[in-house]
Amino acid sequence: MRNSYLWLAQLVTGVLIAITLGIHMVWMHLDTILNFLGVELSDPTSWISMIQRSKEVIWVVLYTMLLSFVLYHALYGLRNIIVELTPSSRVKRITTWSIIILGIVAFAWGSCVPLLLLSR
Amino acid sequence: MKKEESRQIVFKVQRYNPETDSRPHIDKFVVPVTHGMTVLDGLLYIKENLDSTLSFRTSCRMAICGSCGMLINNYPHLACHTQIQELHASTLTIRPLPNLPLIKDLIVDLTPLFEKHRSIKPYIMRRDTSEMDNPTAEFSQSPEELERFLQFTYCIKCGICVSACPTSATDKLFLNPQALAQCYRYCADTRDDGEQERFQMLDTENGIWHCHLAGACSDACPKGVDPAFAIQLLKRRLVARIAKVSTVTEPAPVVPPPTQCKPKLPFPEFTVKRDPNAREG
Repeated sequence: MRNSYLWLAQLVTGVLIAITLGIHMVWMHLDTILNFLGVELSDPTSWISMIQRSKEVIWVVLYTMLLSFVLYHALYGLRNIIVELTPSSRVKRITTWSIIILGIVAFAWGSCVPLLLLSR
Repeated sequence: MKKEESRQIVFKVQRYNPETDSRPHIDKFVVPVTHGMTVLDGLLYIKENLDSTLSFRTSCRMAICGSCGMLINNYPHLACHTQIQELHASTLTIRPLPNLPLIKDLIVDLTPLFEKHRSIKPYIMRRDTSEMDNPTAEFSQSPEELERFLQFTYCIKCGICVSACPTSATDKLFLNPQALAQCYRYCADTRDDGEQERFQMLDTENGIWHCHLAGACSDACPKGVDPAFAIQLLKRRLVARIAKVSTVTEPAPVVPPPTQCKPKLPFPEFTVKRDPNAREG
């Protein structure tokens, strides 16, 4: 049932991306509507606001989760497209490991900055 | 009696003889077409009057056997089920079904189709092997339970869904829409208990998760079967099972033999009265 679990994770990460990206979009780009609803934000896309958020654990966790969901969802989808184009098991194996390494490197690269900022 | 009017239609037919040709080519034939003629009628006219070497597979002429699937004007059809007039074209291009190995002219090798069909174990599987080996009675099934998978039993294994499927075009190992729809047909059958065993076949690199839900199989099926729908229902069963939310039910029990039978209707009287005393010969 390995493929089914991997595919189920693809579906679940799709839903989680919609939620976490939705929070990001609302907070960053719909601040006018939030103001109307009583949530006061002062220019959330400014540099100072971003640095301020990077010191809050909840935002760092949210963005790290969003990064991991997007990486899994996109890279597993990309792997499936490539694997479908070839019957060669060797090419499939190389593709899978390349995608895994790419995912780990991208996650480490993307998550190290907010984690370092948080630890300062 | 007024003679029926006919018009000339050009049949561009792909020809390929593996013994003499290095690659396929197109031959043109002019066929007089009358009202009601099917593409298969046109091909039979060519074979009987113009070129007896033309090869194609046909049998029932009424969309039951699934032999005459072919690519007619770049869309897979059953030749016997396609009226020439409904195509509204003065030229017909007829090629063999794609995504299957070519044997000769319009004949493709359906072995991969049947092998994949066989791989999903298209028969009732149960744990009570003694009942399966020596059946004592029927397994119970209500009309509502039959309705859940009835449309998928209409598959005639013509290979048209496979030739329409974009995933089968790129991935030769893909367990095709025909096999997946038949897998659902047996998993949804209340008499069956082989779902777990069949799911091992689906859960592979080239299994059910490679269906992109293009829906081309359902659009092309000449029997109105909806393989794309079956695949989605099968995915739901598979996800429910791995998420452990599926309601596992026991397979349908054996129906006890009826204790009361309707009396047989009396045999009708012979219309020609025979003398019981008369001796034959």
